[in-house]
Amino acid sequence: MAVTDLPTPPKRETAFGVRMRRWRDLLKTLLSNPTTFIGFLIIFLLLAMAIFAPFLAPPNVPDPYQMPRDWGATRMPPGTPGFPLGTTNQGGDVLYGVIWGSRTSLQLSVIVVSVTVVIGIAIGSIAGLVGGWIDETLMRIVDVFLSIPELIFALAVAAILGPSFTNIILSLCIVFWVKYARIMRAQIILIRQADYVQAARVIGDTKLSIFFKDMLPNASTPIAVQATLDMGNIVLVGATLSFIGLAESGIAEWGVLVSEGQAGIASGRWWASTFPGLMIFLWALAFNLVGDGLRDALDPRTEDKR
Amino acid sequence: MTHQEEGLKMGPIKVVLSAAVVSLMLPAVAFAQQTIVHGADEEPATLDPAEVEPGEGGESIIFHVYERLLTVGAGSSDLVPQLATEVPSLENGLISEDGRTYTFPLREGVTFHDGSPFTADDVKYSWDRVMELELPGSGYEVLSDRVAETRVVDDFTFEVTLQDIDASFLYSAVLPMTASIVSDEVVEANGGIVAGESNEFLSGNMVGTGPYVFGTWNRTENLSLTVNDGYWGTKANDNVRLEFGLDPDVRVLGLRAGEYDTIETDPTYVPDFSGAEGVSVYSEGLLLEPLHIGFNTNIPEGSMPSGDTISSDFFADVRIRQAFNHAFDYGAFIQGALGGFGQVNPHYVPIGVFGYDPDAPIYGEQNLAEAERLLREAGVWDEGFTVTVIVESGSLFEIQGLILKDSIESMNPDMRINVLGVAEAVFDEALVSSPLTYPMWAKNGDPAADPIDYLQTYAHPDGEWGEIHGFRNMYQDPDRIADLIDAAAVELDRDTRAGMISELQTLLYEDPMWIIGAQEGAVTAYRDRIQGMVLQPLWPRPSINFAILDKTE
Amino acid sequence: MQLRDYIIRRLLILPILIFGVSVIVFTLTRIGGSPIGVYLSHEMNAEEVAALEERFHLNEPLYTQYWYWLKAALSGDFGYSGVASAPVAEVFWPKFAATMELSIFSAAVAVTLGLWLGVFAGTRRNKWQDHVTRVVAVSGASLPLFWFGIILLIVFWANLGWFPVGRSNAEIWASIAHPTGFYIVDSILAGSWQGLVDALWHLTLPAITLGFGAVAIITRMMRSALVEELQQDYVDAARAKGLPERLVLNRHAKRNALVPTVTVIGLTIAFLMQGAIAAEIIYRWPGLGRWMASAVVRGDQATIMTYVLFTSVLFLFANLIVDIIYAKLDPRVRLGD
Repeated sequence: MAVTDLPTPPKRETAFGVRMRRWRDLLKTLLSNPTTFIGFLIIFLLLAMAIFAPFLAPPNVPDPYQMPRDWGATRMPPGTPGFPLGTTNQGGDVLYGVIWGSRTSLQLSVIVVSVTVVIGIAIGSIAGLVGGWIDETLMRIVDVFLSIPELIFALAVAAILGPSFTNIILSLCIVFWVKYARIMRAQIILIRQADYVQAARVIGDTKLSIFFKDMLPNASTPIAVQATLDMGNIVLVGATLSFIGLAESGIAEWGVLVSEGQAGIASGRWWASTFPGLMIFLWALAFNLVGDGLRDALDPRTEDKR
Repeated sequence: MTHQEEGLKMGPIKVVLSAAVVSLMLPAVAFAQQTIVHGADEEPATLDPAEVEPGEGGESIIFHVYERLLTVGAGSSDLVPQLATEVPSLENGLISEDGRTYTFPLREGVTFHDGSPFTADDVKYSWDRVMELELPGSGYEVLSDRVAETRVVDDFTFEVTLQDIDASFLYSAVLPMTASIVSDEVVEANGGIVAGESNEFLSGNMVGTGPYVFGTWNRTENLSLTVNDGYWGTKANDNVRLEFGLDPDVRVLGLRAGEYDTIETDPTYVPDFSGAEGVSVYSEGLLLEPLHIGFNTNIPEGSMPSGDTISSDFFADVRIRQAFNHAFDYGAFIQGALGGFGQVNPHYVPIGVFGYDPDAPIYGEQNLAEAERLLREAGVWDEGFTVTVIVESGSLFEIQGLILKDSIESMNPDMRINVLGVAEAVFDEALVSSPLTYPMWAKNGDPAADPIDYLQTYAHPDGEWGEIHGFRNMYQDPDRIADLIDAAAVELDRDTRAGMISELQTLLYEDPMWIIGAQEGAVTAYRDRIQGMVLQPLWPRPSINFAILDKTE
Repeated sequence: MQLRDYIIRRLLILPILIFGVSVIVFTLTRIGGSPIGVYLSHEMNAEEVAALEERFHLNEPLYTQYWYWLKAALSGDFGYSGVASAPVAEVFWPKFAATMELSIFSAAVAVTLGLWLGVFAGTRRNKWQDHVTRVVAVSGASLPLFWFGIILLIVFWANLGWFPVGRSNAEIWASIAHPTGFYIVDSILAGSWQGLVDALWHLTLPAITLGFGAVAIITRMMRSALVEELQQDYVDAARAKGLPERLVLNRHAKRNALVPTVTVIGLTIAFLMQGAIAAEIIYRWPGLGRWMASAVVRGDQATIMTYVLFTSVLFLFANLIVDIIYAKLDPRVRLGD
């Protein structure tokens, strides 16, 4: 992806201000797009749900991430007193699963995205800045990782680590860092040639300060796009892994609930898998809409010719 | 008990299937002979009786194509002749006075599916082959641990001498699929016997004497059996096709849609069928595979699963084992997980097995107060503990683990049960590794027809699990239990034997080595166009004999 | 750089990448546990287990084990699949054919729908139709396939009975020979009309499920490529010449917009390979994906290894071919990056 920055004004003191203005403009563009706005709205609601989970559904003791199971109330339909969205085959409260599942998903996506972004930035920067055989080696490793489709790679890793939610997180971290490394390196190489960096070097800035003041902020836009898309994608992939059977059963996780609820659909018990499935869909949809909007807003090709 | 009755009351539900659905779902091609389509669970690993693992999917296919000397019929656990013509007993003189030699008069005029005649040579060859091959994982021990010598008396008389008196020989050694009769000519023509190595031809092909002839096997997809027109007994009505590798849910859907006639299912799914069009539910009796959680005390220093706070002799304290048995929520397991199709079960003499004493004390009702008292007395209540139970993920056993977790944690949040769900292969590996490094594990027991098989394996201090779990350090009086089991094994008088087994039941209640959640109900759902459905828990899973079913339209 | 040199260079890198993939996957599988799990049973004793370990060289260092694996793999032996109860190599082809048949049809669904939606949205930029299209396309990419498939299955199989599950009707399948393993091709070769109808009938639902997911990728690319083309000077010139809008669109803009859209074919293939796992589980499709899913749950290492390696090879070749096509179509592309 190419860098689209307008020539930065020579006065470096205002660089921060310029960047802030640009972010503000970006936000305005984004919110004026109705689909992106819907995406933001859904994200906001889902985050609120995750944050206020303990108030919406009292946490299960001792482990709130385990579904509370009421073995005396299995397979109850929605609307049953105490179980507005019904119960699962194991007497789990579907509403509880939907609410606390948002926390599980938030945990999953935030951990995986932050870990992979950090790893990606670190490796991409080392490759881009140091260059030479280190760059060559790191990029060949990145190429190898990119040769395996993400879900399949994550599936294999999670299968090998054994079924648990922690292992799903771990396997996604192993798989998802490569794109960031590639983006970071490409940005560094591009920026290194840019005039203002050359200028900074002349002024006598250290390599490190150039990295933090210019390279990192410039790489942040494409990384932000990728991270937003990944926030949704990771929940989707994670849910697929747990659907296939790689999470421990009994945890409040949407994929696990869909998988468990599958058993009852043929018998008319649609609720146990429909609601959690819908949540996965909404989550992925929201982040994809925002990511898509962000990408279009930043992509030079779709910018208006004025 | 009322739970169980409620479950059984669901009975066969028969509703006529609407014609519209039939016309859409049925094959467009019509055959004179119908094909019963069975939604099976697992792909068989092998079709060779000498290689098949007891309890594994291949057993039910071997059951239909090969035959054994004796069998059990539907509706009764009494032995009846199959390739033999009489069941040996002391009364009819076919068991010798000293109890060690068994004589089997054989059926004449039986031929294998390739046309070769069946004689006593085939019987001797088949049994010797199993003992000579000693294939790992197979059930060869049922023969090799017991048999001293096999003899061909004449073409149609076969004799076997045992190493010791053995009251369980007929049920435990002659009945299992391992003792199936193969054709010596077929085996010799296809690689013969090479000790320790499996026979490639026999793992993938079958030439037996049974009511079904082996058809085709598309690996991971399906396997077909065709009616043996030259069968010596009552001919089967319909061909059979087994479909493999289906999710339990897909099997349920397929049965509803009429794509399958019979399916392998567990009780969890059965309540869903009440009121389903064209589907009947069969529910009678119990399977002979108690669902259990084991206690292990043989964990070396430092090998405890990470996070566990117990010492390796935690379960050596009988009070803790009793407390766990009291704490388990049996009602939740049977009503919630098994959908009402199951029954609480006495300690390692399952209901339906000889010697089961309905009056012996059993754990069967959750008693948290008693559990708390025992745990306080054992001194583990205040400090709490974390202990891992390993299970195969996604299985009924995992649910059993979860119920134990819920039961224990509901008493005191400081007492934690960590349910570790792992893939099947990982679980199998963990269970056979020695030493076994998990303090608890959940699975089901292997089915058997004689109480001694269960007691030897699951209760004897020097038996299979006794050695692995360290029963000698756990029982208060291990020798008493050992002596009693050993005595019952060679006792030929039925009443005396029953008395011993009843006494063992009480001893094992007081000093439990397992938490037995339930004995699962023998239950299945099938299309109501299938006539004559019977489950016999002594037949290999899914406990169905296709030869006696009739598919009507 | 010349196109020919470029292709040669890429082809030379390919084996290195495949080797890298195999090393990574092999190391991972061996870290996670021994490959003998599928052979083990509760009936085995310690000596029997030890004998198995010996047979699989588990007591030797990892690189030696890898060497044994590599030697076997190069001679076509990919180990024994516990799930299939047969050597991996033996059961691979029919499953591969089943997956490819499904993927090709899904791709057809995705490409047809994706291009149409892309043009539809691109020509109505920032109007409400554009926004709706975007939501539909992004929905496709956001739907958990396993959930979407279940819902279609319930409606069209269990309730309406319009479509079957599985890949074929067993009787019809058995009535024709299968030299290629592709049901449609085999039916045509056998001249079986019934077989062809059966094949297509079974393909419909899974192909829709899988294809819908891939629509987003193509729609998105086609839309932005078309928007870009429509802003080019030559379009303005053509319009200025008085060419009807339809002709401008069909003769120039659409055709040029297709060029960058070719680049997402690789992505689409990866998506289809991944989605096939869920779709095959749900529709009981006897392909590689379902095999992999059972292997994963049961810890069948030989199958996991082979499957990951195979999809990577497929993915790498697809990307190479796409790059070559792209380079041929668009002379502006710089080679060698």
